[in-house]
Amino acid sequence: MNPRPWWKSLGHAGLLLVATVYCLFPIYFMLVQSLKTAQEDVFGNPLIVVNPTFENFAELFEREAEVRGFIGRTLRRSYPFLDWMENTLVVFAGSVGLTLVVSLLAAYALGRLRPPGFRWWRRVIFATYVIPHTILFVPLYQVVLALHLDDNLLALLLVYPTLALPFCVWILSAYFQHLPREVEEAALIEGAGRVRAFFSIILPMSWPVVVAAGIFTLGTIASDFTLASVFLLDAQNQTIPGGLGTMDVALDELLAVAGINLMAIPVVLICALFARSYVRGLTAAMIEGA
Amino acid sequence: MTRPVAAARRREIRVAYLLLSPAVLLLLVVLGYPIGWEVWTSLTDLSPLKDGGAAFVGMENYRRFLSDGEFWRAATVTVVYAVVTSVAKVAIGVGFALLLARPFRGRALVFLAMFLPWAYPSSVSVIGWYWTLNPPISTAYSVFMGHIKQAVDGALGGGAWSFFSVTLFNVWRGSSFIGVLLLAGINAVPPELFECALLESKSAWRRFWMVTVPLLKPFLALAIFLSLTTAFVDLANVWMLTGGRIVFPVIGTQAYWLAIRGGQFGPASALSLMLVPFLLAVLLLLFRVFDAPERERA
Repeated sequence: MNPRPWWKSLGHAGLLLVATVYCLFPIYFMLVQSLKTAQEDVFGNPLIVVNPTFENFAELFEREAEVRGFIGRTLRRSYPFLDWMENTLVVFAGSVGLTLVVSLLAAYALGRLRPPGFRWWRRVIFATYVIPHTILFVPLYQVVLALHLDDNLLALLLVYPTLALPFCVWILSAYFQHLPREVEEAALIEGAGRVRAFFSIILPMSWPVVVAAGIFTLGTIASDFTLASVFLLDAQNQTIPGGLGTMDVALDELLAVAGINLMAIPVVLICALFARSYVRGLTAAMIEGA
Repeated sequence: MTRPVAAARRREIRVAYLLLSPAVLLLLVVLGYPIGWEVWTSLTDLSPLKDGGAAFVGMENYRRFLSDGEFWRAATVTVVYAVVTSVAKVAIGVGFALLLARPFRGRALVFLAMFLPWAYPSSVSVIGWYWTLNPPISTAYSVFMGHIKQAVDGALGGGAWSFFSVTLFNVWRGSSFIGVLLLAGINAVPPELFECALLESKSAWRRFWMVTVPLLKPFLALAIFLSLTTAFVDLANVWMLTGGRIVFPVIGTQAYWLAIRGGQFGPASALSLMLVPFLLAVLLLLFRVFDAPERERA
């Protein structure tokens, strides 16, 4: 192939720049916002921060329900942000772990053992995505009450996996289905059981797909706000999204933005770390037109 | 000879069902019972505001909506919203994927930038995004955003700008997910195929429609379906956040309003189930693309 003419390369670079700015600007804006003093928020240039400060972040960790002063005649309190962080960590780690285990079991059954009608099993599981979540939480609350899980983190651990499970089962079982039979057979002939063969051969092989499923799960549950705020009522029991939703943003705008960043940064770092495997996993799962 | 094989196969099938059971159980508890409740409730006049049990009213709830102008308005907004955001997301996503398809210096960094809008948790970024576009009165950019808001609201009705800001957010985030998904698709295509196509036709536009799109079809189908079903998640988030201060009704928010503010669980259930047949039909069509029957192995 001939080298591309200079104007084509320039056009490509320009488009790349536009795309990058489009993707990053909102994130940059929120980061800048969280580093501002109240003074600068009102009078400064909205696009840059001149005197960056971490006071908004520090304020989040103040002792709970401490009075932080008045705006006009409205009392400002601090929030139990440390509790929220802890709850978020438990719920997210638990949900991702649970989703992966349950999806791996189901995907192995559908992709390798292939019970009669496995294709339709998989389709029905995937089809649960058409269920509208709008008022589903009304009957769901009955389930949660019946299980005595109201205002309990376990309620979210029960509900969150179903948000990502259909997609995870889909890509994992598609990948397992396309692994050639010989992969396992060698181990089976040597007398290893199916379980051993799974852990020593299939699981290591499918690592990128498992990572892809895990990252998808994390991204999906991290985007939920509705369920978190419906099922967890007590301030101590909330996750960060639910908790931030109870803030009065008109008064605590800077504080809320700082909280957003504190939640987003770890999630983004994890996703960035696994971004490469994520793409490789999606490719591996969908190859062969599955 | 066949007998032990058949027995082993039967055992295998039993194990398969056993392994499937946690997933199925989870879905039955969290989605199965509630959807059953919703279907049943949609046939009754259940309401917490009414004394006595719910009475069975058959298809009455559905019938009432079909002759209700307000419903058709919401249905129109819903369909337009879902289609417009999906088209925008897929178009931008395809653009991203094509931009990154060939290696160049700094590709990894641009890829990361493209990945971030999806990875940035929308449960919290929607708060930031919403309050950026509809800022509290005190910030330095409030006046500027206020002007835009007033211009849009003045032209289209109060709350229009809020609705657009959520739409914008949904497209921003969704295009990132679809871009990454399609990039994964392009990676799955052997580069020789694109090189062959280059010899076949000089027109990049033609190559795109004759080669790239057919090769990416399963990925596109999956992307379109996920985009349709998740189009409303961000809207629901903002709805919860702002106590419903969005003027354009979509079917989901209208149902929520009916159930929570109006206490009319029957009609609300019927309303929220209205879209399910359409989504199922779309899904069945798309299955033919991204879950094609096993092809002959090369």
